[in-house]
Amino acid sequence: MKKLIYHILPAVLLLTSSCQQFLDVQPDLQVDQSQAITNASTAEAAVNGMYNRLGNDSYYGSNFPALSYLSGGDINWTGSQTAPQEIFARRVTSTNGYVGSAWAAIYQTILAANYLLETVPNLSDPQLTADRKNQILGEAYAVRALSYFDLARGWGGVQLILKATYAPTDNTGIPRSSLTDTYAQVLKDLTTAEPLLSATTNRNRFTRKTVWALRARYHLYRQEWEQAESYATKLIDDTNYKLVSPYSAFFANNAVATTESVFEIAYSNSFKNGHYNWWLPPALSGRREWAPNDALVKSLNDATVGGNRKELIAQTAAPGNLWYGKLYYRNPLGTDPAYVIRIAELYLIRAEARAQLGKTTLALADLNAVRSRAAVPASTAATKDALLTAISDERRVEFPFETDRWFDLVRTGRVATVLGITDTRKYVFPIPNSELLADKALTQNEGY
Amino acid sequence: MQKPASVRYPARYRTASWAILSGLVWLISIQGIRAQSSVEHLLKGVVRAKDGDVLPGSSVVFKGQTRGTSTDGNGAFSLDVKAADVLVVSAIGYQSTEVTVGNQSSIIVTLNESASQLNEVVIVGYGTQDRKDLVGAVSQVNADEIKNRPVASFDQQLQGRAAGVQVAANTGVPGDGIFFRIRGTTSINASNDPLYVVDGVFVNNQSLQKITTQGQANNPLADINPADIESISILKDAEATAIYGARAANGVVLITTKRGAYNSKPKVSLNLSGGQAWAPKLWDLVTGPEHATIINEAWINDGKSAATRPFRPKSEGGRGLPEEQPIYDRLGDIFRTGALQNYDLSVAGGNANTRYYIGGGYTSQQATLRTNDFNRASFKLNLDQDITDRIKIGTSNILSQSKRTNARVGDGPQGGILQAALHTPTYLPKFNDDGTYAKWAGFDNLDVLINNTDMHSISTRYIGNIYGEYEIIKGLKLRSSWSLDYNNYDEYEYWNTLTNRGSASKGLATSSISTNTIWINEQTLNYRRAFGSQHTFSALLGNTLQGNVSTQTFAQGTNFPSDAFRQIASASVTTASSNRYAYNLTSFFGRVDYSFARKYFLEASLRADASSKFAEGKRWGYFPSVGVAWQLKQENFLKDVGFLSDLKLRASVGYTGNQNGIDNYAARGLWGGGFNYQDSPGTFPVQLANPNLKWETTRQANIGLNIGLLNNRIGLELNAYHKYTYDLLLQVPLAQSSGFASIYQNNGAVSNRGLEFAVNSLNINRGGLQWNTSFNIATNINRIEQLSIPVDASYSAERMQQGQPFHAFYVYKQLYVDPQTGNAVYEDVNKDGQITANDRQFYGSALPTLFGGLNNTLSYKGFDLSVFFNFQTGNKVYNSNRFFQESGGTRDERRAINKNQLNRWQKPGDITDVPRVTTIGTNYNLSPISRFVEDGSFLRLNSLVIGYTIPKAILNRIGIASARVYYSGSNLWLLSRYQGPDPEVNVTANPTTQGYDLGTPPQPRTAQFGLNITL
Repeated sequence: MKKLIYHILPAVLLLTSSCQQFLDVQPDLQVDQSQAITNASTAEAAVNGMYNRLGNDSYYGSNFPALSYLSGGDINWTGSQTAPQEIFARRVTSTNGYVGSAWAAIYQTILAANYLLETVPNLSDPQLTADRKNQILGEAYAVRALSYFDLARGWGGVQLILKATYAPTDNTGIPRSSLTDTYAQVLKDLTTAEPLLSATTNRNRFTRKTVWALRARYHLYRQEWEQAESYATKLIDDTNYKLVSPYSAFFANNAVATTESVFEIAYSNSFKNGHYNWWLPPALSGRREWAPNDALVKSLNDATVGGNRKELIAQTAAPGNLWYGKLYYRNPLGTDPAYVIRIAELYLIRAEARAQLGKTTLALADLNAVRSRAAVPASTAATKDALLTAISDERRVEFPFETDRWFDLVRTGRVATVLGITDTRKYVFPIPNSELLADKALTQNEGY
Repeated sequence: MQKPASVRYPARYRTASWAILSGLVWLISIQGIRAQSSVEHLLKGVVRAKDGDVLPGSSVVFKGQTRGTSTDGNGAFSLDVKAADVLVVSAIGYQSTEVTVGNQSSIIVTLNESASQLNEVVIVGYGTQDRKDLVGAVSQVNADEIKNRPVASFDQQLQGRAAGVQVAANTGVPGDGIFFRIRGTTSINASNDPLYVVDGVFVNNQSLQKITTQGQANNPLADINPADIESISILKDAEATAIYGARAANGVVLITTKRGAYNSKPKVSLNLSGGQAWAPKLWDLVTGPEHATIINEAWINDGKSAATRPFRPKSEGGRGLPEEQPIYDRLGDIFRTGALQNYDLSVAGGNANTRYYIGGGYTSQQATLRTNDFNRASFKLNLDQDITDRIKIGTSNILSQSKRTNARVGDGPQGGILQAALHTPTYLPKFNDDGTYAKWAGFDNLDVLINNTDMHSISTRYIGNIYGEYEIIKGLKLRSSWSLDYNNYDEYEYWNTLTNRGSASKGLATSSISTNTIWINEQTLNYRRAFGSQHTFSALLGNTLQGNVSTQTFAQGTNFPSDAFRQIASASVTTASSNRYAYNLTSFFGRVDYSFARKYFLEASLRADASSKFAEGKRWGYFPSVGVAWQLKQENFLKDVGFLSDLKLRASVGYTGNQNGIDNYAARGLWGGGFNYQDSPGTFPVQLANPNLKWETTRQANIGLNIGLLNNRIGLELNAYHKYTYDLLLQVPLAQSSGFASIYQNNGAVSNRGLEFAVNSLNINRGGLQWNTSFNIATNINRIEQLSIPVDASYSAERMQQGQPFHAFYVYKQLYVDPQTGNAVYEDVNKDGQITANDRQFYGSALPTLFGGLNNTLSYKGFDLSVFFNFQTGNKVYNSNRFFQESGGTRDERRAINKNQLNRWQKPGDITDVPRVTTIGTNYNLSPISRFVEDGSFLRLNSLVIGYTIPKAILNRIGIASARVYYSGSNLWLLSRYQGPDPEVNVTANPTTQGYDLGTPPQPRTAQFGLNITL
């Protein structure tokens, strides 16, 4: 009997230890969170991941710009999906898929930034110089600023998540901040980012200049006209940024990162977006889920309004003759840039700021710089009000398929006049219903 | 008007089923009483079965009396009798017989097996049992009974055949996914499919398909040729399933393939069949003029000027007047009569030490929806060899290759072939003015798709094992086996420049090769012994090691020189990726059975499983069960109740587990790659860690009753169960402000309570006429008992929420259409004066409350007939085609309009549930709404078979042992109130959505002729 135990015992031990090993299966495709950001190269990979989230289809890839232009009254919903139908018909509910996925994608981008902000300062890798560290942190702050800026203009005051999530209980129970506090966080992050970044020109990643451009837009939204003017001037005076001519030169013929661009998200075969799919007609491999409406088509084709911006649209074969937008068109499909901020916008920001400051002549010059590039006659608006209206109308045909129209109408208080929506509670998107279910600390926007 | 909230089961259904039930003619013979002669003598006898086995416990009684005895452990009895006495000898599972005593003093009584189910041997986990000794709830289906339905896989053939087993095909395309539930749905994010075991091999039933066909996925069980299957055993209660522990929470399906018989001449069987499949009903769409009328009406209703209405004379810049609009029938172009062919050839036989089965088969099934085909060639080899009296080895092998040609069927405009036919408005032409193909509504041109769709896949599958068995001492057997389930799934798609998908990218090709490998090593030690005449004891001890590896290699190319180049090597832009996932399981298990006098049965089992999916310390789960049975008929007080031939009570309780279907690394905090930017690699966190994650557990209690009547000509089985699943492996939704959508947690509980009833009866068996009926019906009440956060299904019409069943529709309820304004009025649930997301409510579930099947078979002098119905009731279907096609003018040239739209409100006083057409307001801009939630109950003539066996006298002359010709039809008749073609439908392979109909091809109707020949 004893002998038997001598034989069995080692066998059992062997079995137990090999069993342990047998059950320890490591993932091949992904890595444990502890190995995620440990040195220079993994930090760089995480930075790429952050830009990837910023350019994700649900954010700048297509969804977030779509929320703006579909709400803006110039784009018709021409497809079958219910989410854009709701937005187009102004019946947005808190279960709207576009609203929900944009919200989630923006917070994912914030998570990526927060991880970098927490881990990179503690890395000790000789490959990671102090300058490089600062650059990374500056980009993370800037990306977070842009994310909160988009949340603020889309949803109002939101929860400020400033730490990375490691466990499901992290970042819970945080109440919504006010709109003012949310914008304050944007400014704080931009201010922190500015000195960390170098003043170089990079149209696909954040530099100090990109931060200036965002600050110009930020101050415009906050109606801080002097600062809006001065930050816009920093870019306009920089010879690296120019209005390219004709208008289509910034996107046609597969152009990327032209001098027009201050910040555009780059796509390639290894990272694509689906924007083309919603715009192009079936014959060009898209779904044409939405299209420019009659009014916009008319404006763009009007030589005194659209000018050479008519290159943004085209028509399908007869008998269809359907108009479609062709800003997002290129081959390989899905490699069209996402235009976050262009020099044309800085001209129009400065024009508006100057108009508000009573610098009418200077304002008109900025406006006409944009108009002249589009080959439309110079504006003769002489009063502040006429100028402001002209600038707003110019934005409509300058950025019809970018992230502008709706936010611009809300910002300038013209939603009721232009779109006839008088319920001001609908000037922000609803908080996604699923968020309210998952987070008791969160409250819905009024009216949803 | 709004349809009533719940539709009563139409009287027609009830009368149909009751008529057939009551139509069962119970033949009751009343036995007369005879006089007895007077001199007694002692009679000794033995009761045997035909094969020579003695039959202990047989009953020997004087005819017409309750007096008598029963046989001992050796099948022997002795009785004082008179010469004129007549004895009735009976045993469970055997036809009783009458013996006239006369002058005999010793006698051997041989009993024939009865035609009832009761004496069959039932395959159970790691063994077999006589049905009469069964403790657990097990349904066994003979493969011969179900083989005539021309579908690709055996699981679909099981529809309606076993009580408590709900089977529904997602689509009418052969080889597509099947919804298969044993006793309800238990889990949200882990798998709800049963464990499939083929000849002891745990096989994969999760699709490896990676190239999307928009919604559907292939069914890997279609790799198995149903013709190679001998029987299918469905283990339902905890007693039967717990031996499979952590794999068994959703029941177990044991598939036993055909083997040869020892000492038998080679038997060659040939089965041939061929036929056709077609769609019995399609969708009703409006004509071109009707379409135009609706659009113009919506235009006017929107308050726009009649002068600019879309369908005005072309001279005025319009699209022409409504009456000038043409009509194009695209549905007629896409549906066809599909050809069906099937060939099976097998040889089986054996000598004293060897038995073998060799089979080959080929099947080809064209779907009614164009460009979808399923073909399978398969090979089967089973071999068993006795090396010595004590050592035996054997092997089981299935090798098959299934080839599918596919189409993008469901929800997708890029190549969505059915949608291009069903959803393109009927007035729109097929060609542009310049002669090019017109592409409308975000769909491709149907002709282009029919002629240019090139998607195919080849599934190569091996399922097999080798085993050795050694009998250490009498009754003690050691068995060791190595098993493999290997599947290679090779897919390719090519979209040329004529198609939407390929046009802008100058041709697009995708290649995906996925493999899945499951290997298993298993040892069992089995001991079985009878002690004395009354006690039987058996024990089982075993261990299993299981490894699973799946890999995928994916390549895509665009920009081809021309349409003539179809392989990625010719493309100028290419991308590629590869993945690998693995997990391992290790298990120990044991079972003891004890029975006393075949009257009292006790079984207990325990399985311990460990999975690599969980963190150390949480890996092991322990799953015990215990079951008892009491054979009341063997008790003295029932022994003499003549009409009652069997009465058994069963009870069991036990635990099973689940970890299938969740991510292999679900417990870990992970960062993933592929988040690239500017062609540089990028990473991002994809999952939060939960080191406490553990097994999902199902507790199940079952009580059952088996009744045999009239010498077991009628067998009844009743089961009642309560399954309670807790610690659900749930992807608990997180607030996305955290940056994560969800985390795996053990959160939530689900219950399934149900009743199952099955009856098998031999109604007539005389004069060569035999009539059998089998009927089963089950109800299952599913309820989510605990769930911290409601979870919306992938298609948002459904929501999972505490207190509701699974697959509950969560919609805005349309109360009525206001007869004055024509506007739809929705219920303002929270009475806040506006309709918001908070006004959605639960509105029925896609799960049926009652389901089952009824089969009648008749045979007479070579003719045989089988008529099989299946039914379900109480389930709802969300008719999303109507959502798109009954859209009140909001979709104009983008979607076809269905006929029901014509019932719209037009003028004050109109009573209808279809609101005034307009693009404004909530009439047609709110989704999902209750108007499209329809009753999905149905009764289907699932199959009808008429056969004729050619008399032997004729065949013997040409050397054929037997030959039968037959006609077989399936889905010949359907009774349903559903507005779509068929309520048995589901848009997606994603199991969180059920009963959601969108562009899904309906179940085909088929007719076939066949020939079975045995040499």
